[in-house]
Amino acid sequence: MSEREVILVTGVAGYWGSRVAARLAAEGSCHVIGLDAEQPAGERNGLDFVLADVRNPLLVELLKAENVDTVCHLAFQHSTRRSEAAFDANVIGTTKLLGACAEAGVWKVVLKSSTAIYGARPTNSAFLTEDHSLRGSRRYGYTRDLVEIETFCNGFSRRVPKMVLTSLRFASIVGPGADTPMTRFLRTPWAPGLMGFDPMMQVIHENDVVAALLHAVKEDVPGAFNIAATDALPLSRIRGLVGKLPFSVLHMCANWSVSLLGTALLGVKRYLPIDPEYLRYPWVGDLARMEQSLGFTPRYTAAETLREFAAHLRLGRYRTGPASLAQDAGHMREVIERRGRTQDHHTSPDTAVPGDGNG
Amino acid sequence: MDRRQTGHEAPSSDVSGQEQALSDAAFSGPPDEEQLRLLLAELDELTDRVQALAPDYEPPAFSPERLVTLIERLLSWYPKDVQLGILEKLQGALRRDLFNLDLWKGIWYMLSYTLRHNADLVRRHARGEIDTDPWGLDWELVDLVLPFFNFLYKTYFRVEITGIDNIPIEGRALLVANHSGQLPWDGMMVGTAILNEHPAGRLARGLYAAILPGIPYVSTLLVRLGQTLATVENGTRLLEQDELVMVFPEGYKGTAKPFKDRYRLARFGRGGFAQMALNTQSPIIPVSVVGSEETYISLAKLPTFSEIIGIPYLPITLRFPWLGLLGIVPLPTKWYIDFGEPMQVNNCGADSADNIVKVSQVTDQVRNTVQEMIHSRLAQRRSIFFG
Repeated sequence: MSEREVILVTGVAGYWGSRVAARLAAEGSCHVIGLDAEQPAGERNGLDFVLADVRNPLLVELLKAENVDTVCHLAFQHSTRRSEAAFDANVIGTTKLLGACAEAGVWKVVLKSSTAIYGARPTNSAFLTEDHSLRGSRRYGYTRDLVEIETFCNGFSRRVPKMVLTSLRFASIVGPGADTPMTRFLRTPWAPGLMGFDPMMQVIHENDVVAALLHAVKEDVPGAFNIAATDALPLSRIRGLVGKLPFSVLHMCANWSVSLLGTALLGVKRYLPIDPEYLRYPWVGDLARMEQSLGFTPRYTAAETLREFAAHLRLGRYRTGPASLAQDAGHMREVIERRGRTQDHHTSPDTAVPGDGNG
Repeated sequence: MDRRQTGHEAPSSDVSGQEQALSDAAFSGPPDEEQLRLLLAELDELTDRVQALAPDYEPPAFSPERLVTLIERLLSWYPKDVQLGILEKLQGALRRDLFNLDLWKGIWYMLSYTLRHNADLVRRHARGEIDTDPWGLDWELVDLVLPFFNFLYKTYFRVEITGIDNIPIEGRALLVANHSGQLPWDGMMVGTAILNEHPAGRLARGLYAAILPGIPYVSTLLVRLGQTLATVENGTRLLEQDELVMVFPEGYKGTAKPFKDRYRLARFGRGGFAQMALNTQSPIIPVSVVGSEETYISLAKLPTFSEIIGIPYLPITLRFPWLGLLGIVPLPTKWYIDFGEPMQVNNCGADSADNIVKVSQVTDQVRNTVQEMIHSRLAQRRSIFFG
């Protein structure tokens, strides 16, 4: 067990954590430990699950005891509002985790971030490199937290130069399974643009997000990287591809609705899952480092991603919910197979390698 | 041409013998009256067949037939001699073609095509089906607004240009021009000049001021026309992609000049354009625009008021606040745009973009060249409005 690489994935109860951990476990070349503060809802798929919080002071002991080589930190609470609890879990959690990793001698840490941390500003260049200053919106909880995390990471990688700290800054993630600000925005019935503004935007397919995270876990590529599909599209084209009508609101109204004034006077809650500024000004990341240093190429173009998402949205109107599982023989076969594998795992804990029984 | 050959070599089996003979006759040599008659007869037959297929079909609201009936009906209101007079006058004044049905058919086809094309354009833009390059340039929109710029260029300002051959057919180059005239008409005219007169019809990528991205519609329009925000990164990247970049280093200081300071170049920014050129080893092409200073006669500025409403400057011109929107229309002065000899900067080292001395040297050199070009043009100009 000692010669195998040990990878700890945090946030395995969440969407990204579960997908990345499942993929790593399926490959079978490394020992995958899943960590989360709550029980995963679905099947654990032979995962070595640890119920713990990253903020726990004894995390460093766990890392040492398990001989963890690589940490893939995917625990993140996506809150639109600025919530103190989310800040504590996201920012304090990450700083504590990074500190514990440095002390336990973890070799590599991979973080999932967003290009939203550059902020959408009128003074932005058309393409923002990874060295661009972090001026993300502080009105929305998740961008504020990400900016805090990235700012901390800048200083941290300078203090701990021997650790490979990879931060993948994804553009707006779109996909049928993902729950991100962009998909929430596109799922709203109108998904309004702002009158007279049509900035260029990037998206990335959820499968490419998982692929990029796996790529970063396997390769040793320190630094920050913008990750997006290679074609940037105007917002109107994005909305058009998803089948939204040409509907837009005054940017002043959109801004009021998220400000205190809007909440107090009009009683509107934040109906925009994305800060309106991000629909007004460009925040397109430069992809040269992704292509050259990271060596990652997304499989989906932005247009393909959005067409697939649109098809999923349209089909969602006709779906009958869980009844579809009644006919799904393939899914059932998968479940039986998986459960069989976990049975093997329980009977012989020493060969705790998921998938070995089959391969 | 292709159709004729296929008609001869591979006649399809379901074509009837008569039609085959007809098409053979029709396509072997120049058509004479007989063939024309045959063809028209065939067309009539086809029309009849189509009408038989769809008996409920009504001709569209506006069709050549309806137009002719309308004219006939209107004519029938007049007495016979007046009718004859009108017809003779029409014939005399507008030639016989007016009574040729084909002319009206042609006009109707053109109109309906244009209408359908524009309706399709509007529909596609509303659905967001637009093709842009990574910077946001939409060539369809360029073609759409070009007639307006052409009107300004050819009819309104009657722009005359020299030295267009100094702009390379391909590859990077940085155009540096003087800025004047309260509103950036000069940028549009330089861009139109290159698009129209340059052998390769290149699109100049202008770098615009930082106030513009915040203005609704204006910002989007500029991006769709291939312009981008003036930052050193943007300019460097465009030049690296071998684009033609156009800058106005004077910025607001140039456009906001009062009339008494006309054709006196303001400070050339902080030398960002020189950094771009040095970064990318691009030739600098100095451009002088003469005529745009007189489009508005600015007497003074309202600094406090412009600060309150958040714009960089608000001029008082001879016409502006007093005549309202009419004051925004530029005066139809005669314009001259001169493209100077390319200035090479590639004899400098790679790190010269960070060399403050080098950057300021290049900046001053270009500024002096543009100023000289303006002076030599002004010395030749006799009249502001007639050149």
